[in-house]
Amino acid sequence: MSKEYTIDCLGEACPVPLMKVQKEMEKMEVGDVLVAQIDHSCAMKNIPEWARNQGHNVEIEEVDDGEWEIVIEKTK
Amino acid sequence: MQDQATESTGSIRRSSTSSRTRKKKKNQLPAGFAVVILIVLVGLFLGTKNGMLALFWTFGCIFGFILQKARFCFTASLRDPCITGSTSVTRAVLIAFAITTIGFTAIKFGAFASGQAIPGQSYIMPISLATVVGGILFGIGMVIAGGCASGTLMRVGEGFTMQMLSLLFFVIGSLIGAGHMGWWTENFIAAAPRIFLPDVFGWAGAIALQLAIIGLLYVAADLYEKKKMGITE
Repeated sequence: MSKEYTIDCLGEACPVPLMKVQKEMEKMEVGDVLVAQIDHSCAMKNIPEWARNQGHNVEIEEVDDGEWEIVIEKTK
Repeated sequence: MQDQATESTGSIRRSSTSSRTRKKKKNQLPAGFAVVILIVLVGLFLGTKNGMLALFWTFGCIFGFILQKARFCFTASLRDPCITGSTSVTRAVLIAFAITTIGFTAIKFGAFASGQAIPGQSYIMPISLATVVGGILFGIGMVIAGGCASGTLMRVGEGFTMQMLSLLFFVIGSLIGAGHMGWWTENFIAAAPRIFLPDVFGWAGAIALQLAIIGLLYVAADLYEKKKMGITE
């Protein structure tokens, strides 16, 4: 049974969201999904870039003007 | 607004969708056109007062637009290699350095060759240990604040509240710094040598050396990313 985690990074500037994601991903198991809520445009670039390079599946959803959810599925 | 956001295909299964109800997106085009017209009008108005002001206004708006769209960030260029091993922004900055090297050499050599005074020579600053210390202090500050000067300004424009606070203290710090600059210059900086590379290596040698160093840094950044991240793009 895969679990879903959510981390709230609203109001956090780069690089805090990325580091929170990295920490959270370590705790997760393969198949788990992480939803990172962000509103700093810089995190839009570096979180997906890092996660894709690690080989995870990544999706970005714009939930509101200037607010995004990055959905990461841990694959390994 | 974000290209990547529209690519979302929903292939990752999520147990919950966002708890918030989604607002219908407002069409931002009218606001965009209004801002463009306003920028042009302000530019024309400034042009009637002072040609230079209009030029600064135009370049300022263009720089801001490019910075925001390109996600170009000097902070990230030096921070991401340490955190994620990604050097994509680092390499972008190196390319920008290479282009400005060629551009500024052309401007300066153009003036030199035609016998005019070389523009911008007053910006050749003394180089000493103070440069290194200042760089480290600035680096610590910009990582904590979440952006360098241009990055902070750009994100204030995006409406990121936390960095409005950064901007406020950035202004206060700059004022204090400017007030004390004279003493530091006199005691620590002024005695250090000012080096203009073409004086030392000749015009061709200077540009070749600078481009070679930038090229080597680019290759090093590329190799570093491959080693650090394992999988490459």
